[in-house]
Amino acid sequence: MHHLVIDRWSRGSSSLHQRDPRAKLAALLTFLIVLSTTRPAAQAAFAAYAVLLIITASRARLPILGLAGRAALVLPFSATFALLTWWSGDSLRALALAEKSFLSGMAALLLVATTPLTGWTAALESWHVPRMLILVIQFVYRYLFVIAEQAQRMRWAALCRGRGSFGLAAGLVGVLFARSWQRADGIYHAMLARGFRGRFVPAVPVPLGASDALFLSACLAGCLGIRILL
Amino acid sequence: MHIPDGFLSTPVWATLDVISAPAVAWTARRAQRDTQDHRIPLLGVMGAFVFAAQMVNFPVGPGTSGHLVGGALLTVVLGPAAASLVLTAILVLQALIFQDGGVLALGANIFNMALAGVAAAYLSYRLWGQASRSTAIFAAGALSVMTSACLALGQLLISGVPMTAGVLWASLGLFLISALMEGAITVAAVRAIERLNPAWVGGPQPASSRTVAGVGLAALILVVVGTLLASIAPDGIQRLTGQGVDSTTWPQRTMGGLAGIAMIFALCYLAGKLKSRRRSA
Repeated sequence: MHHLVIDRWSRGSSSLHQRDPRAKLAALLTFLIVLSTTRPAAQAAFAAYAVLLIITASRARLPILGLAGRAALVLPFSATFALLTWWSGDSLRALALAEKSFLSGMAALLLVATTPLTGWTAALESWHVPRMLILVIQFVYRYLFVIAEQAQRMRWAALCRGRGSFGLAAGLVGVLFARSWQRADGIYHAMLARGFRGRFVPAVPVPLGASDALFLSACLAGCLGIRILL
Repeated sequence: MHIPDGFLSTPVWATLDVISAPAVAWTARRAQRDTQDHRIPLLGVMGAFVFAAQMVNFPVGPGTSGHLVGGALLTVVLGPAAASLVLTAILVLQALIFQDGGVLALGANIFNMALAGVAAAYLSYRLWGQASRSTAIFAAGALSVMTSACLALGQLLISGVPMTAGVLWASLGLFLISALMEGAITVAAVRAIERLNPAWVGGPQPASSRTVAGVGLAALILVVVGTLLASIAPDGIQRLTGQGVDSTTWPQRTMGGLAGIAMIFALCYLAGKLKSRRRSA
């Protein structure tokens, strides 16, 4: 059974989990922009960013090694390019490439590990991201694991019947498509049965609280302080 | 190829974010207009389907296998606006939850895959769809992957990620192989879907607009090749303009580029107007 560990993490109750998703999203963007504009030579700044992320993660009571392990998913790609940069003689820049991509991944993870999907999509919506896109994101996420599991089962069944071939794989994709299409039909009828009238009622936005403003200003001060001082 | 954060230089990711945001808003509006109610869950489930279909291995030759990328398949099945929207949703989820592609680089990834990739697939399907459907679908798959990959490579080069000529040719070769594979897999997948229910795959548009599709595709390919050439050899362009990069700042250069694109666009638009008027007269 696929179950995303991020889903479990995001249902925590720490002070970071309770902050408004808009404040967390704004903090993430600030961190990423500050990180992106840091010079490769400022190695002390990168260490300070890492400390900042570790402090935030421990405040959110999240397993730091688990977070780092998931963020390391970016490393194969960035390590390849870092090696290329290293060979061309710019070792400092190579190091910075790997560090930047790893820290960025870690920061994005911190957002989704402390905010459920409905939280950050609501934040995006309040920033006027098109509703249609938000709906599609929510539907993709909702059915991602359902359909991936179906695909996995079909793949195993096909492997049990013998060695795979190109045509067999194409047939598999075709049948998976057919089942997805029928599932979408079923979902729509279930929505109609529950009173869906062709549009979703948008949530009423709540103003940012004092603790959210405090959190955001602390994040801004931390990022900018490191960027300017180190 | 999903570009993570930290690879693109600030002017590159900022420009592409600024370009992609209104483009996504536009495709969302288009998709909303073309979409009946029952298609909203369909778009989401199709996104989940593409995620899942990427797990199916297609054996090609001894010991190697490829998988579906899916941009062209979505374009053929759902139409360009809806396909672009679904791919954008997938990219957002991949960037935030699966650490596949960066958040600041989201604009770049959306531009490469959900906008340019879908445009390449749509234009080739429209251009050759009447003549031979299989060829059109093959071209749609191959060109969409090639476009996205070359644009990503160009953006990395412009951002100053150093690559030797050998690495560059090797990656272009790899892109070509995966583009051809995507073409073949898309054709096979569309055929399998059509065998189950032909109504699921819409036919291409009537042939009357082939000129537009042809010009559009040619323009897109020119942009991709131009980006690559410009990023490999900026010296040539500098010599052409008679000034070094250092003498101008990036906002000036970006504005210059945008003005150039606007000028070309205006010329094409006028030429099209003139042509259509002559035809109707």
